Amino acid sequence: MKEKLEQIFADGQARIENALSASALADVKAYLLGKQGAITEALKEIPKLDASLRAEIGRAANDLKNKFTELIDAKREEISLKAAEIPSDFDLTIPGAPPVSGALHPITQMCYDLNDTFRSMGFEIFEESDITSELYAFDNLNFPPDHPARESMDTYWIAGHEHGRGGERLCLRPHLTGASVRYMQTRKPPYRFVYPGRAYRNEATDARHERAFFQYEALIVDRDFTFSSGKVMIKSILSKIFGRDVPVRMRIGFFPFVEPGFEIDMGCLVCGGAGCSVCKHVGWIEIMPGGTPHPNVLRAAGLDPDEYTGFYVNIGLDRLTMMRCEIDDVRLFRGGDLRFLRQFC
Amino acid sequence: MKISLNWIKDYITLPQDITLSKLAYDLTMSTVEVEEIHDLSLQFEDMAVGVVREVLPHPDADKLVVCTVDVGDRDGGGTDACDAGEAILRQIVCGGINVAEGMKVAVARPGSKVRWHGEGDLVELKKVKVRGVESYGMICSSSEIGLFDLFPYTDEATIMDISEFEANAGTPLAKALGLDDIILEIDNKSLTNRPDLWGHYGIAREISAIYGLELKEISPYDARAKTDLIPKSNREAFQITIADPELCPRYIGIRIEGISINPAPFHIQSRIWRVGMRPINAIVDITNYVMLATGQPTHAFDADIVSGNINIRRAKDKEDLLLLDKTKLSLTPDDLVIADEKEAIALAGVMGGEKDSILQSTKNVILEVANFNALSVRRTSMRFDVRTGAATRFEKGIDPERADIALSVAMDMFSAFFPNMEVTGYHDNYPNKLQQKEIFVSHSWLEKRLGMKMSRDYITRLLERLGFEVSFDLNVPDCANAAAADPGGDLMRVLTPTWRSTGDVGIPDDIVEEVARIHGLENFEPAPIVTAFSRAINQPEIEIDRKIREYLAFRCGMNEIYSYPWVADEYISAVFGSEALISGADMLKMSSPPAPNERFLRSSLLPGLCKAVSDNLRFIGEFAIFESAQVFFDRDYSSVYDKRESLPLQRRHVAGAFVAERDKYGDVFRRAKGAIEAMSRNIHIEPIILRQCDSSAKPFWADDTIWQTITTSDPASNPTNNAVKDGGDLAADNANISGGSAIGMLGLLSQKAAQGCGIKNAAVLLFELDIDALSPLLSRTNTFSHIPEYPMTEYDVSLLFDSSVKWEDIHNTACANRSSHMGKSAPQGSGQGSNLRGVSFVEEYKGKQIPDGKKSVTIRLLIGSPKKTLTSEEIESQAGATVKRLCKALGGELRA
Repeated sequence: MKEKLEQIFADGQARIENALSASALADVKAYLLGKQGAITEALKEIPKLDASLRAEIGRAANDLKNKFTELIDAKREEISLKAAEIPSDFDLTIPGAPPVSGALHPITQMCYDLNDTFRSMGFEIFEESDITSELYAFDNLNFPPDHPARESMDTYWIAGHEHGRGGERLCLRPHLTGASVRYMQTRKPPYRFVYPGRAYRNEATDARHERAFFQYEALIVDRDFTFSSGKVMIKSILSKIFGRDVPVRMRIGFFPFVEPGFEIDMGCLVCGGAGCSVCKHVGWIEIMPGGTPHPNVLRAAGLDPDEYTGFYVNIGLDRLTMMRCEIDDVRLFRGGDLRFLRQFC
Repeated sequence: MKISLNWIKDYITLPQDITLSKLAYDLTMSTVEVEEIHDLSLQFEDMAVGVVREVLPHPDADKLVVCTVDVGDRDGGGTDACDAGEAILRQIVCGGINVAEGMKVAVARPGSKVRWHGEGDLVELKKVKVRGVESYGMICSSSEIGLFDLFPYTDEATIMDISEFEANAGTPLAKALGLDDIILEIDNKSLTNRPDLWGHYGIAREISAIYGLELKEISPYDARAKTDLIPKSNREAFQITIADPELCPRYIGIRIEGISINPAPFHIQSRIWRVGMRPINAIVDITNYVMLATGQPTHAFDADIVSGNINIRRAKDKEDLLLLDKTKLSLTPDDLVIADEKEAIALAGVMGGEKDSILQSTKNVILEVANFNALSVRRTSMRFDVRTGAATRFEKGIDPERADIALSVAMDMFSAFFPNMEVTGYHDNYPNKLQQKEIFVSHSWLEKRLGMKMSRDYITRLLERLGFEVSFDLNVPDCANAAAADPGGDLMRVLTPTWRSTGDVGIPDDIVEEVARIHGLENFEPAPIVTAFSRAINQPEIEIDRKIREYLAFRCGMNEIYSYPWVADEYISAVFGSEALISGADMLKMSSPPAPNERFLRSSLLPGLCKAVSDNLRFIGEFAIFESAQVFFDRDYSSVYDKRESLPLQRRHVAGAFVAERDKYGDVFRRAKGAIEAMSRNIHIEPIILRQCDSSAKPFWADDTIWQTITTSDPASNPTNNAVKDGGDLAADNANISGGSAIGMLGLLSQKAAQGCGIKNAAVLLFELDIDALSPLLSRTNTFSHIPEYPMTEYDVSLLFDSSVKWEDIHNTACANRSSHMGKSAPQGSGQGSNLRGVSFVEEYKGKQIPDGKKSVTIRLLIGSPKKTLTSEEIESQAGATVKRLCKALGGELRA
């Protein structure tokens, strides 16, 4: 009898071991422990045994039952874990599921980068409407009455309002600078603000020229401010935008609304200043005009130019974005082509 | 403008240690932008003077000869003819008809670059055999090395004869011809405000100021000494009259007899050629030379053609004038002319006339050195589109004093070229003498603006180099007032040189610039920016636009586009109807539009957006785009800034398009609607709601069925934003309350409008909304709700309804006994006893298994109690009650 039990154990152990699925294991369990199972059958034999052996065999049979139960439970656990296991041939190279894929226009991105940078230096943001008047586009900015920009076809004048003078003569703004006077007229100095926006010029378009472009101006006005500080300001901003130290130079330039006026160049980032086709072999790229507000502009804003001074910069965002993203045709910005715009997600 | 460095050296001596690139850099920093430095001699590399020793016929070609040429090569290895070694003669095959023994010629050695027959690209020469005979490079014709203008010929087979040049065999060609020059290319745009810099003398003055060099003086023409020689009768007979001194502040006429029309000496021709002008003849070359040297344009008339005295007057209306270049003009009284007693003979400051021009037969000339009003010259030049070097210079505002040195340079040349000439008439009519600008500048103010200390002496030195006169300690009588106002002696008086007094320099700030640029802009220490903090920046009305854009891009998956504010007529007509084009529909127009069909400025972003949709559909089938920009209306003119100003109504708009295949109109509608509905919560503005009012509100472009008006909700009936409070889809509740004003539209682009935009087989769901009509909240308003203490169950159920039943009714019916508040306050009103916490939409289905005219709607009930965990019987009972109500009220039936 003892031998028989041992044989049942060995056989049962093998059966449990060989069961590969939950259902096979259930069959094994029924075979071993069920109502007609091996153990039950074995227990039926006990009454036939010699009384002295009954207790011992009975205990052994019970032990066997418990052992099988344990083994089966362990096996069940093993099978269920195995079932939840990740197949080893899972492909790790399948592409990730993309998140919602909208994007801001690359110029908007640049504009917001600048906004954030200027905000961190305490600048307010101001917006002026796109249609302005000769009064703000020219008169207030010290453009002489006979300045070519006023008469020429460079400016988009509004039909029916193109023949008036000053505040009655309307145009799509040819630059943003007029907005600075609007801001100053409605607030108290000192000032520290930026005013991004679209500007328009009536000219033929090509890879480098646009009729509608995006500008970004900043103005500081205070009692003491020298152009040397203006240079510091420009350098900090460009270095933030491009993520590295950017050499800046200010050279003399002429614009009616500033005195002194400067052309501001940044070191060519393509060649590092050594000279290349991008910078026309001079190592510098002209990126913005700037300078001290002309006394007549401050007067137009209601300030005393003997008391106040300041610094303007006027950044061409199209150009700056082209440089940052290595875009070679300015017309792509207003083409609305998603094959272009989706590259800036 | 091209500047010759050799020419500059006439006026200043450049120190050895100033390299070319430094000179260009310093000029760029302080004065004008040098765009390029061009070494002319590079063009003549490996070219030398050759002396032809022998000319023999070519054995195999009639038109070629074989020349033996000394090009200075010596067997000692040198190329200098003075070298002691034996000459190595070179054999060169040549086709020149004029080649002769003893002639000096231009030899292009192998390795140099020439242009075959003066055409096409530059080609590098190699040692080759020409018809079997070896040739060491070539003997050049002038056009092959770009010198036709200096060595013109009539027969193409003529080689350049340079026998007259004093140069030995082997001398580099550029050196022999005096073409070893450096040309600085200056950006004209950087010169527009500096009339003094449009000639070599002006640039030389700047360089002398930058480096502190001495500038050679050009003494004015001594008219008295010369005119005394003219017989009195002649003097009286030659008179210049100026009818309009405003337009002609000065006119010097000088009559010169006994000249002949020859070419100018080679070095003069060469100079003007090097800076980009073509030599013509001695007289024309003198006038051009004077302009290039001093910036003062001059003109010469054939004195024998001019009838009587010269008068500078306005043209008569429709007066005819035939210009030198044969352009026939019909003038206006706004144009100034030089006239003789009969008619106009030149367009003042712009171009001479054909009639009195210098011809081969000219013997006597009248030279004009005059000054004309800048604006008048520019207007005339623009009116007739005649752009000349003279007009370019006059329109910048030349000072009349400059005529003196210009005349001096011109007369020196006349007497050098024509030793036998005679001045027989001279009149300098100068009615309004130019006043030098006087500027008073406070020394301490100047230092403050510069941001550094600078001594009186140093400031004086810098300014004097530029021709300014500076004085301190003002107590001279004519400055008494200034001195009285300045007891501390801080003021300095700056007298501007005449050549800077025509508008360029006039206020103390100009002096800041002059001092700064000559001191050197890079010699100022960087100065930190000092600031005082007063308050945090808070600009919700500015921020709202950014929030909307970021919301649409990052949350709604849309791509931002930019388009032009002018819209092509076809899109306006497609979106708003051809009526809009005819009536103008409040749209502003441009007086000179980019294209005839792009006259209108947008009053809506939709036409531009439709164009972008149409363009993109060629490549992509499903996408979403938006634009945020200003739109314009021809009405409500006003200005908050200046009462003299009157600006049209301009508003910030945002518009978007969701695009998919045509049969997905339901999907794009839901996406767009979802984007608008969730906007207020995401960008922190007062709620906005969508609803379809009466059909008269439907925009032209929208489909008859799918369109809604976007309105602001009435804040009074919508306290504390509870629409979104408990996370359910309850916004539709607001449809019941009366909304505020319309601020935008949402709708499906109708088939017809789509067709007009060139859009086929696509569902285009558009929205547009007025950003300026949105009210930003001052801060976030969504406050906290307690997390339910007991579990909530989501219970989905599908019901069959008539397809005419609206979700809004289903929702409202289901919600009728909803308990609207969790935890915070006790259930109230009709909510008493209900365990329904929310009702939301899962899906709507039509098609297989659904009878015609019916639809299946799956709704999700949120069931729970604030007091206990519900039993499954209680949940079933709540769901059953809701379903029963829906079936009863709306004729629904539960789907199996």
